[in-house]
Amino acid sequence: MPKILIANRGEIAIRIMQACKELGLDYIAVYTKEDEASLHVRRAIEERGKESVFRISSYLDPNEFLEVADYTKCDAIHPGYGFLTENYRFARRLAIRKRPLIFIGPRWEVLREFGSKINTKCIAKRLGIPVVPGSDKPIYNEIEAENIALELFHRQWEEGIKRPAILVKASMGSGGMGIEEVTHPIELRRVYRRLRQYVKRQFGDEDVLLERKFPVFNHIEVQLVCSQHGEAVHFGTRNCTIQSVFRQKRIEVAPAFNHNYKYQFDPEEVTKRAIQYSLKMADYVGYDSVGTWEWIVTPEGQLYLLEVNPRIQVESGVSGSITKIRHLPVGVDLVKEQIRIALGEKLGYKQKHISFHGASIEFRLVAEDTKCGFKPWGGTITKFQLPKYDWLKVYTHVPSDRPYSIPSDYDPNLALAIVWGRDIEEAKERGEKFLNEIKIEGKNQEASIVTNIEFLKEKLKKIQMFE
Amino acid sequence: MLELEKKIEHLRKDLDYITDIKGEIFGERLTEIRNWLSEIAKKIYELPRERAETALNDIEAQIEFFEQEAEKYLEPLDYVRIARHPYRMTLKDILENVYDDYTELGGEEKCNIDPAMVVARATISRRVGSRVYTHQVMVIGHEKGHGEEFRNGGSAKPWGNEKALRFMRVAETEGIPIHTYIFTPGAYPIEDPPGAAQQIARNLYAMARLKVPIIAVISEGGSGGAEAIGLADLRLMFSHGYYSVISPEGAAAIEGKIKEGQDLPPELVKSCAEQLKITASENLKLGTIDRIIQEPPLGAKGDDFEFFNQLKHEMIKATDEVVLKVRGLSVLRGYYVKKKTGEKNNAVYVRWELDEKEISKLLKQRAEKYENMGRGFFADRRSFLKKRVDEVCYGWLKIKSLLYFGIFKRPYRWVKRFVDDLRGEFLIITDRVLRPFTNLKGAIEKKFKRPTVQLAYEVPPKEDTYLGEIYVSPLANEDRTISCPNALRYGCYDIWVPDLYGELNGVCPNCGHHFPLEYQWYMNHLFDKHSIKEFNTEIASINPLGYQGFDEKLKEAVRKTKRHSALITFDARVRGISLVVVMLYSDFRNGTVGAAEGEKFILACKRAKVLRRPLLAYVHGTAGIRIHEGTIGVVQMPKCTVAVREYIEAGGLYIVVYDNNSYAGPVASFLGCAPYQFAIRSSRVGFAGPRVIRETTGEDVPPDYHSAENALKRGHIQGIWDRRDFRKNLYMALITMGGKNLYYR
Repeated sequence: MPKILIANRGEIAIRIMQACKELGLDYIAVYTKEDEASLHVRRAIEERGKESVFRISSYLDPNEFLEVADYTKCDAIHPGYGFLTENYRFARRLAIRKRPLIFIGPRWEVLREFGSKINTKCIAKRLGIPVVPGSDKPIYNEIEAENIALELFHRQWEEGIKRPAILVKASMGSGGMGIEEVTHPIELRRVYRRLRQYVKRQFGDEDVLLERKFPVFNHIEVQLVCSQHGEAVHFGTRNCTIQSVFRQKRIEVAPAFNHNYKYQFDPEEVTKRAIQYSLKMADYVGYDSVGTWEWIVTPEGQLYLLEVNPRIQVESGVSGSITKIRHLPVGVDLVKEQIRIALGEKLGYKQKHISFHGASIEFRLVAEDTKCGFKPWGGTITKFQLPKYDWLKVYTHVPSDRPYSIPSDYDPNLALAIVWGRDIEEAKERGEKFLNEIKIEGKNQEASIVTNIEFLKEKLKKIQMFE
Repeated sequence: MLELEKKIEHLRKDLDYITDIKGEIFGERLTEIRNWLSEIAKKIYELPRERAETALNDIEAQIEFFEQEAEKYLEPLDYVRIARHPYRMTLKDILENVYDDYTELGGEEKCNIDPAMVVARATISRRVGSRVYTHQVMVIGHEKGHGEEFRNGGSAKPWGNEKALRFMRVAETEGIPIHTYIFTPGAYPIEDPPGAAQQIARNLYAMARLKVPIIAVISEGGSGGAEAIGLADLRLMFSHGYYSVISPEGAAAIEGKIKEGQDLPPELVKSCAEQLKITASENLKLGTIDRIIQEPPLGAKGDDFEFFNQLKHEMIKATDEVVLKVRGLSVLRGYYVKKKTGEKNNAVYVRWELDEKEISKLLKQRAEKYENMGRGFFADRRSFLKKRVDEVCYGWLKIKSLLYFGIFKRPYRWVKRFVDDLRGEFLIITDRVLRPFTNLKGAIEKKFKRPTVQLAYEVPPKEDTYLGEIYVSPLANEDRTISCPNALRYGCYDIWVPDLYGELNGVCPNCGHHFPLEYQWYMNHLFDKHSIKEFNTEIASINPLGYQGFDEKLKEAVRKTKRHSALITFDARVRGISLVVVMLYSDFRNGTVGAAEGEKFILACKRAKVLRRPLLAYVHGTAGIRIHEGTIGVVQMPKCTVAVREYIEAGGLYIVVYDNNSYAGPVASFLGCAPYQFAIRSSRVGFAGPRVIRETTGEDVPPDYHSAENALKRGHIQGIWDRRDFRKNLYMALITMGGKNLYYR
C-alpha cells in the first residue's frame, strides 16, 4: 500500500486525506506550531494515530518534508496547492535523488515550462494560441519596455478605450503577487523598475512582462485531467471572475457561462475553443496530471490565454461536483484522480463518458475586511456553525466545537463551500440560503470578527456577467 | 678623560653590535674583551692616561679584527639581523649627514601623520673645482628610528604612503629629483582608508609615470611596503641590507605549516633566508637591483661618517647617471660617470632639471626597464618554429591595427566629428524654419504617439526556452544538502547541492550568499559560447631560485590543473564585444604571481593595447606574490603596474573583478590600481590575512574585516556584483565605461 506524505495544511490536507481514505492509501500528515489546533491534524490523529503526524517548522522547507518522508518510508508526496506545489526544483529533487519519491503533480519539466509566464506565452505563440497582447520575451532594457508600452497604449487608444491601462507582471509571480497597473506611459519606468527590484528579491528572477489590461472581462478556466499514458480529458469550464483586490478568487462558478444571458458572442463556441486550445497545449508539452488553463474572455468574445496552473486548484471541487463519469453518481473527486494518475494508473474513461449535470458555485469564506482593502482579520473564533444540506459540500479546517485562533502566518481562509443546483438559478438561490445561515462569532482585542459574507452575497448576483 | 669615557662607550656599543650579529662564532673571546673593557672603565681614573689609551686602542684593534672576521662568515639571516638592528643607520642619520640641509615635511618625530614615513625637502651639494653646486631633492623614506616605539619599526601605514605620494606629486610639480630610502620590514597591514593594498597600488601607478628622476636605495626591503616607494629609475642597495618577498620567519611559517603560537624552528628560518636570495649580491644577480653601495664591515651604523660621505657621492652619481641617460649633450660626462667609479671628487656637473623631451625619454626608459625586469625566469614551452610564427602573427596584428585604427579610423573620426558639429549647427536653422509647422503638427497629433520603432514579435528560438547543454559545476554531483552560513541570521533553508551548484549558480536563494565555484564555471557562463581563445599557454612557471622542494610542488600543480601557470589569458566576447581577459585562478599554487604570470599579464596588456580591446582582470583568487620566486616575484608588482598604466594611458578600459579571496601583492599593485574595481558578493579583498595582521599589529580583526561590503565602505572597490548578474553587469560596464580609444567607440 503506497504511503503518501501530505505536505500541506488546512482544507486541502483534509481533502487529500479524504481521497487517500477512499483510495485505501496510507498517509502521513504534518503541521506547524500555529496549526496545532487545526482540524486536519485532529483528523489525521484520529484516523492514523499519533505516530503518523509530524510537527515541522515550516511548510516551505523541502528538507524537512524529505526527512519525514524518509523516516516514515513514504512513497509519494502530495504538495496540495501553494507552498511547494509549483516549485519545479522540489519536484526535480524528488525525482532524481538517491531514494526517489513520487511527486503528485506534473513532471518537473512541465512545472518549469509553466513556472514562467513568458515561457508559457512563447509556447502558446508557437502553437498559434492567442495570448494577451504585450511582451512575450524577456525585456532587456527600459527603452524596449517603454516602446512596448507605447504600442499597447496606442492600440487601446485606437480602439476607443477612454482609460487605457497596462499591467506590469512578474514572469515568476503567482497568486496575484507581482502585478501592477500603469495608466499612463509616463509612470511606466518607475513602476517597471520597482517591480523588477521586488521580483528579484521575491523570486530571484527579474523577468517582467507587459500586458494590456482589459477593463471588462471574464476569467474562465478549463479543467484538464491528463494521465501518464497520453490520455487527456477535460472536466468542463469554470468562471472565476469574482476576485479580491489582490486577485485572489472568491467565487467560482461551473459552467463558465450562463445560457440564459445574452452575450455578444456565442458562449458555446468560446468554451469549445478554449477547451480545444487547452488540450492542444497539454498535448504539446506532454502534460501528465491535473491542471488548469486560465483564459480571459472579453465582452466581444475574444479569447486570450492568461496562464497555466499545473496543480490541483482550490476550485477543482466545483468542476468535480457537476461532472458525472459513465453511470456513477454526479460528483468526481479530482484530488483522487490526481493521486491515481501520479501513481501511474490509467484514467479508465474517455471524454465521451464524461457528462455535466447542473451548475455549481463555490464560496471561499475568508476572515477579511472587504470594505477596507481586503485586510485580513486575526483573532479567535468562538462559534462557527455551517448549515448541512445534501446539496452542500463544505471543507474546513476550523473546528466547530472549540475556539480556534486564526494563525497569523497564513491567509485567514475559514471554509470552502460548494453549492450544487440543477441549474444556475437554483444554485444561486441555494448559495444565498447557505450564506444567510452561516453562524460565526469571534473576537480579538479590538473588534468582533469581520468576514467576507456580505461581499459574497453582493457579488453572487453578478456572477457570469460582464460589467 | 671625557674622550676616553666616550671612546669606552663607543667600543662597548660596537662590542654589543658584534655580539648581536655574529656573537656565536667567537664564543668566549668576546666576553674576555668585554671584561677587559669594563675593567678599564672601572679604573679609568686610577690608570695613567697613556696606559688606558693604549689598552683602548688595543681593544679597538681587536674589535676591528673581529668585525672583519665576522664579515667573512655572514650568512643571509645575519643580513636580516643587521638591517633590523637598532644601531643601524636610519633615514634621519642619512638626512643629517648626506644632505646639507633639510626640512622635514609633514611634521617631525611624533607629530606626524605617520612617523614611520619621513618626507623632507633637502639640498645636496657637490664641489666641482672651487665651485659648490647645490641641488634640491625630495627625500622620501621609511624611518625605523633607533628603537623608538612610535616609529613602528618603519612599517608605513596607508596614510604614510599616501603622504609619500602627495609629496612625490609636489616634487613632480617642482621638477626636482626624488631620492627614496627603503627601510621597511613591510607595510602595516590595515585596511582603514586609504587601505594598505590600495594605497601601494596607487603609489606604484603614479610612480610609473612620475615626471622626475627617482633613485631608490634599499636597506631593508620587505615586499609590498618596499615597492610603495621603490619604483625608481635606478635601484641601489646597501651591501648589508636585504630585499625580500617576505620575512624569513613568515616564509618559514608558511613553508613549515606552523600553527599560530607555535615556535618556529630556527633551522627552518635559516634555510628559508638562504633560499629566498635576499642579500644584495644575490639580488644584483637576479637583476632586481642595479647597483650595490658598499658598506663598512658588518654594515653602517649611525656614526659611520665616512660611509655617509661615500653615500653622498653615490647618490649624486646615481642621479647624474639617470639624468645623463636622457640628456642630449652628455657624451663625455656620461662616459666619465660610468668609468670613473672609484673617484670621489670628479669634475662632473649635471643640471638635474629635465625638459619635456627628456621627460618623455625618461618615462620610456623606465617602462622598458621594468618590462625587462624578471625576464628569463620563466620557461617558454613553445617550439622554435611556433615562436617565429607567433612573432610574425603578432607583427602582422600590429600592422593591421595600425592600418585600421591609425590610417583608416582616425581620419574617419575627424570627418565624423566635423559632420556631427555641422549637423548640430544646421539643426538650429531647420528648427527655426520648421517650428510653426511642427507646432501645428503637434496640435493635431494624437495623445499617445505611435512608437517610431516597430516591434517585431517573433517567436524566440528554441534555445531560449529549452536551454541546451549548459556547463554544470562538478560540485553538483552529490546528493546532500548544505547549510548557508547566514542561516541563523536570515533563516535560510538548507540547500540541496545539485540545485545550488546547478541552477542557483552557487548562490543561496534566500540571502544571496555566494558559495565558491571553480573558475571553469566563469569561463563557460560569462562569455559568449565558443568565443574563448587562449594565448600564451606555453609560458610556464619554473623554480628560478632553485627553492628546495618547490619543483615537486610545481609539478603537482601542473598535474592537477593541466596548465603551466596561475594566470590564464584569453580573448573572449561578451554579447559580441571582444575583450582580452586575464584570469588569476587559485587552483595553481593558490593563484600566486611569479615571473611567468607577470609576463603573461604584460603580454595580455600589450595585446589589448594593440587591438584596442577592453581588458578584464578576473581574480578567481590570489594569495599574493609567490614566495618561492623571491624578489623576482616582488618586481612583478611594478612591472605589471607599469604595463597597466601604459594600457590605460592609451585609452583603454581596465576592469578588475575580485572573487573568493584576493590578498597581498597583486591587489597592492596591478589589480588595486585599476579605476574600476568590483567584487563578487561574499568575496574577500585585502592586503594581509587575519593571521598576519594579528602577528604584526598584535590586534584581532573581526571576521568580516576583509569582506567585499567593508571594502566598499572603505572605498577600495567601486561596487559589488552578483554572480548571476556578472555577465549583464560586465556588458553594461563595457558599454558605458572606458577610454575613447576602444575599438567599438
